[in-house]
Amino acid sequence: MNCVALLGQPNSGKSTVFNQLTGSRQHVGNWPGKTVEKKDGTYTYNNVKYTLVDLPGSYGLSGNSDEEIITEKFIKGGEADLVCVLVDASQLERSMYMLADFASMDVPAILILNMMDVATGQGKTINDKLLSERLGIPVIPFTAADGKGFDGLRSLIEKELKAPHKLITKPETGSKEEAGNLKYAWIDEILEDVTEASGKDYSLSKFDKMLLKPFWGKVVTICIILVGFLAAMLIMSPFMGVAGMLPGLLGTPIASLLNGIHVHPWLVSVFSLLIPNTLYFCISMASFVFGVNIVFGFLEEIGFLARAAYQFDGALSKLGLQGKAVAPILMGMGCTIGGASGTRVMDNWGQKMLTMMVVWAVPCASIWSVIPVVSGMFFPIWGTALVCVGIVAYIFVLMFIVSKVFGNKLVPEESRAGMIMELPPYHKAHWKYIIKEAWIKCYDMFKRAIKTVTLVSLVFWAFSYSSSGNVESSLLYKVGTFIEPVTKFFGMGWRTFMAFLSAAFAKEAVLGTLNAVFAGQSNVADVAFNASTGGVDTMALSQIMTQTISGAEALAFMFAITFSVPCLMALSTTLKESHSLKWTLKTAGFYMGAALILSCIVYHIAAPFIG
Amino acid sequence: MKLSEVKAGAHGLVSSLGHDERFLNRIISIGLTEGAKFQVVRNDRKMPVLVYVRETLLALNRKDCDKIEITEVGA
Repeated sequence: MNCVALLGQPNSGKSTVFNQLTGSRQHVGNWPGKTVEKKDGTYTYNNVKYTLVDLPGSYGLSGNSDEEIITEKFIKGGEADLVCVLVDASQLERSMYMLADFASMDVPAILILNMMDVATGQGKTINDKLLSERLGIPVIPFTAADGKGFDGLRSLIEKELKAPHKLITKPETGSKEEAGNLKYAWIDEILEDVTEASGKDYSLSKFDKMLLKPFWGKVVTICIILVGFLAAMLIMSPFMGVAGMLPGLLGTPIASLLNGIHVHPWLVSVFSLLIPNTLYFCISMASFVFGVNIVFGFLEEIGFLARAAYQFDGALSKLGLQGKAVAPILMGMGCTIGGASGTRVMDNWGQKMLTMMVVWAVPCASIWSVIPVVSGMFFPIWGTALVCVGIVAYIFVLMFIVSKVFGNKLVPEESRAGMIMELPPYHKAHWKYIIKEAWIKCYDMFKRAIKTVTLVSLVFWAFSYSSSGNVESSLLYKVGTFIEPVTKFFGMGWRTFMAFLSAAFAKEAVLGTLNAVFAGQSNVADVAFNASTGGVDTMALSQIMTQTISGAEALAFMFAITFSVPCLMALSTTLKESHSLKWTLKTAGFYMGAALILSCIVYHIAAPFIG
Repeated sequence: MKLSEVKAGAHGLVSSLGHDERFLNRIISIGLTEGAKFQVVRNDRKMPVLVYVRETLLALNRKDCDKIEITEVGA
């Protein structure tokens, strides 16, 4: 049935080949009964449909992780008509280990020598014809990331499915201890005269010498990441700018059009306020995801993130994670959605889930646009600086708590493996591929966002809609004041509590909600949604807020919104990436609860001092 | 001598990788086998050890490097 499987070590560029071949025709799910991600996709070539299965990443097929067991079973089960084994041509000898492991299985195969551009850049030559002769299967030199040569690959797959080849040689078998050496001996024999080993000593490049230093390397790494975020901002600002104008541009014409044909004011409000603002939310979130993914896609591809992982492995192992988690956590500083989807690099599900939970603890860029505004209303500049320091300090506390509470369950002590990772040679970036990948992620997020955000906006809008135009006649007010005795205990009155709930929806909505519940003169729904686009009169809001609530409540509120559920789309992305509703709800529940407890503690400590 | 004690720049041969099967599979699959010749590229306190083996630069966890016995050889 034209089922083709992709097999290769991490870093062999397997996902690049998979993504380029299938485009967006992918399906991601779980392998039956396991928390291992199953990725398959389809493509059509010469009017024939092919199914492509991305076998879970592992270094070999020795069967000592869920991923390896699944991969081994799948191949042995004969479900694949053809296995494409991918190796990294720039590190041929080591990377051929996967083929050596695979050789014991009697299945048709082809060998893809990926990253030929890097190998060529290093001055390596590979005699692929001789290699193919010795192995008995076709060998195709390839550079997946530049997007060329895929027609050649498709046509080779077509040919091989009709007239398949199997390996004509395999390593000798021996005891466990010997097996490894026998496999490398086989590889050495196969590669003789195919490629020449340089045999030279390794010397670090000038850049690596600086980047890999214990202390200064970390400083340089952090600086590069910060520059990366600036770049991400530059990338997304035009999209945000245009999106920001939408509510203003669309709102009035739609409103006057609908008013003209005497539609119910309810509907006018939905179409002229809710929908343009939802659109603005979604576009601005999508541009965050786009910018962050372009920058981190670039840093990953050139080989920088592997160095960052090396630098921060020690710190992350204290959380039960390993160095690789550094990328998603850093991405989370820009956008939690980007960070959550960045956890794909993790080795297994448990590590991935735990990393996602830790990423949630990192305040994203959006929250930093809210905190100084709110803090500035109540405290002098040095006070605001203190608030920020307090928030940053608490990030580490929360990460530690998360790893203590969930670490052992998700990544059991005995399965914790220290870093064993290659630092790839620096690559040139393939921009087209990076942009394409970032676009796919951003578009996928956007599609989900439109659905979820519209739905939740509608609920929120219905809650805050007031027929009289006064806050007291909205459902929000009734529910809020009813539960106020409880929320008061946690340090928040009904107003701040409602804004706290809206923060779990989107951080961008916080100021708008505050404006709606505090100002409360005009229609709540109108103010809430208008304000989200930056139309908040902070001076006026500041005056009412400082008269209505205490500094202690404001402080508790700021901590609560920062460390609550990051946003609706972060929740949705976590569900999509984890494929586990149970763990997604656990994460959300934990963060909601922890934020309330934090708010309670902050309020009761601060109240005697700042009243 | 343990791999974690080798100074940067020195060369050596792996003499024993220990007996933990999971670790063995993992380390062998990435290129470090008994008898393999390697060069230590960096070895800093509290950091993974950087080892060059089979034309690949590897970062290996310190604790794991304590388990790997080696003999030093001249370049």
